[in-house]
Amino acid sequence: MTAEKFDYSHEEKLEHCEGRPVVLSTHGLTKDFKHLRAVDGLDLSVCRGDVFGFLGPNGSGKTTTIRMIFGLIYPTSGYAQVLDHKVPADRQKALRHLGGFVDDPMFYGNMTARRNLRMLSRINGEVSEERISEVLDMVGLLDRGNSKAGGFSHGMRQRLGIALALIHKPDVIVLDEPTSGLDPQGMKDVRELIRQLGSEGITIFLSSHLLHEVELVCNRAVILNKGRVIVQGPVSELHPASHAVKVLTGDQGKALEVINKMAAPGGVREDEGYIIVESGDGFVPEMVRRLVADQIDILAVVPAVEQGLEDMFLELTSETSAAAPQPTKTRKGGRR
Amino acid sequence: MSSIRREFVKTLFQRRTYIGWGGLFIVPFLIMLAFRFSDGGHGQNAGQADVGGFIMMGVRSNGMFLVIAALFVMSTFFLPMFASMSGSYTVAGEAEKGTLRTMLMQPVRRGTLLMSKWLVSNLYVAICLFLLGIASLIAGGAVFGLKATPLFTGQLVSVWHALGLAAASYLFMFVGMMCVVSLAVLFSTLTDSSLTAVASALGLVIVMLVLGAIPQFDFLKPYLFPGKFMEFTNFLRSPVAWMPVIKALITFGVWIIGTTGIAFWRFSRKDILS
Repeated sequence: MTAEKFDYSHEEKLEHCEGRPVVLSTHGLTKDFKHLRAVDGLDLSVCRGDVFGFLGPNGSGKTTTIRMIFGLIYPTSGYAQVLDHKVPADRQKALRHLGGFVDDPMFYGNMTARRNLRMLSRINGEVSEERISEVLDMVGLLDRGNSKAGGFSHGMRQRLGIALALIHKPDVIVLDEPTSGLDPQGMKDVRELIRQLGSEGITIFLSSHLLHEVELVCNRAVILNKGRVIVQGPVSELHPASHAVKVLTGDQGKALEVINKMAAPGGVREDEGYIIVESGDGFVPEMVRRLVADQIDILAVVPAVEQGLEDMFLELTSETSAAAPQPTKTRKGGRR
Repeated sequence: MSSIRREFVKTLFQRRTYIGWGGLFIVPFLIMLAFRFSDGGHGQNAGQADVGGFIMMGVRSNGMFLVIAALFVMSTFFLPMFASMSGSYTVAGEAEKGTLRTMLMQPVRRGTLLMSKWLVSNLYVAICLFLLGIASLIAGGAVFGLKATPLFTGQLVSVWHALGLAAASYLFMFVGMMCVVSLAVLFSTLTDSSLTAVASALGLVIVMLVLGAIPQFDFLKPYLFPGKFMEFTNFLRSPVAWMPVIKALITFGVWIIGTTGIAFWRFSRKDILS
């Protein structure tokens, strides 16, 4: 799959929302650091209810983009938008609808987790102690609420960061690599939590360099490389399930003739002694019946290896790296 | 107000806050002990015109002088150090701990945040001075007694009058320290290291003191605020020498407005990369 399959125009993206409002978008978002263009004309939109994967290798501009969304750094050009509020112009109002963290979430070490949440969340309005307990419970920190945050491990800070993000029930939660540095159980717990939040209709913008993670929890995703979108769309389309099967028979020549008559043109090829068939619904049982009818011994019919998102990701990022122009050259919008 | 309260609570949750306040509370007792157990060997300088000598000689006979002596001793280095530490932590300290981005990801205006931090830093210094004054009064009163106090100009004033003059001196010094806080806040917005900000602010204060002491740089004197800290001694004259006091306050005001203004300008445009 290549970038050509996707259209990045705003209209197309809105169509993807299927009537749901766009809650988070970026418009030609660009950031230059001296001689480096970290983010290059980024256009993306997140619809309400999406669990949106923001994928890219290290240094691709993910964290810089998130910092611009939160108004921590100023874009060289373009802007982010949360509902109707543009960032940085209307940053304060936008942040009332955003929750999340960037990089490793840090808290005041001499204060308890509960006091950190109380102090930070009250910037955005009153929060009851019950709500604080509720979010601490959601992230599995209820029993550590009165412990000082300074003694928290990286994983516990990640959880506390998610608790802070959730406390005001924002329209969008932006999480920057929330499972990085966690042990396998911690990763599993956080992913489960994200999935649960997604199932409750909370919009989540999940930055990650773990493709498997995005496949597990996201419904839509964008792949970023060198600050540019190289592909975006529903995860199911980004990662097409291959229906190809590998067939091994007692008489491959005869079997090939039979299958060629059945399959669509170009749908059959040979590879390492196997017949590879691009199969549609109901094709495999019919093929087996024909081969049996023609008295061809079937030794094996197995799924062909799928092209995973990871393969596609590596393919796309290596393509764009090879074709990348000078970093400071402006390339706004358009297809990447 | 909630923003100021939040910043103050954060200050109260830092151990160094109490170390600073505790240290300043102890200093007058140390000075008192030094005078109490000294042999009075500096008595030969009694009556000299030198202001420092006059204050120091007065301590052994009147506890009121300890209140002024503590301010005199602390004003050239230790108070600027506390003020620069307080101001430097505002932005750079939080940046190096990573909590600045946590705070700025909440819907808070950068200007409001910096203003709150600036105010709380100054409040910290005000409490430092208050504790210094109170501790001096306790230590001096307990050991040397509080009596009618002679001024530099020879008049004797009542304890209450002397307390009023001491309060004015402390207030004056507080305005002077606001310059140091503002300078430190400015450096704090320029770096993500609080130590660098402390060193820069304190270093600049010392450089200005040195410049003020070199005759060749006399033309700079009116603009160098650290050299004006000692102008508080003008309150200990009768009548009060208002002109140098007012000139010093104008210098302080210009520095406070100038450095704080640049700090606001810088912070409102700063990319938070920490």
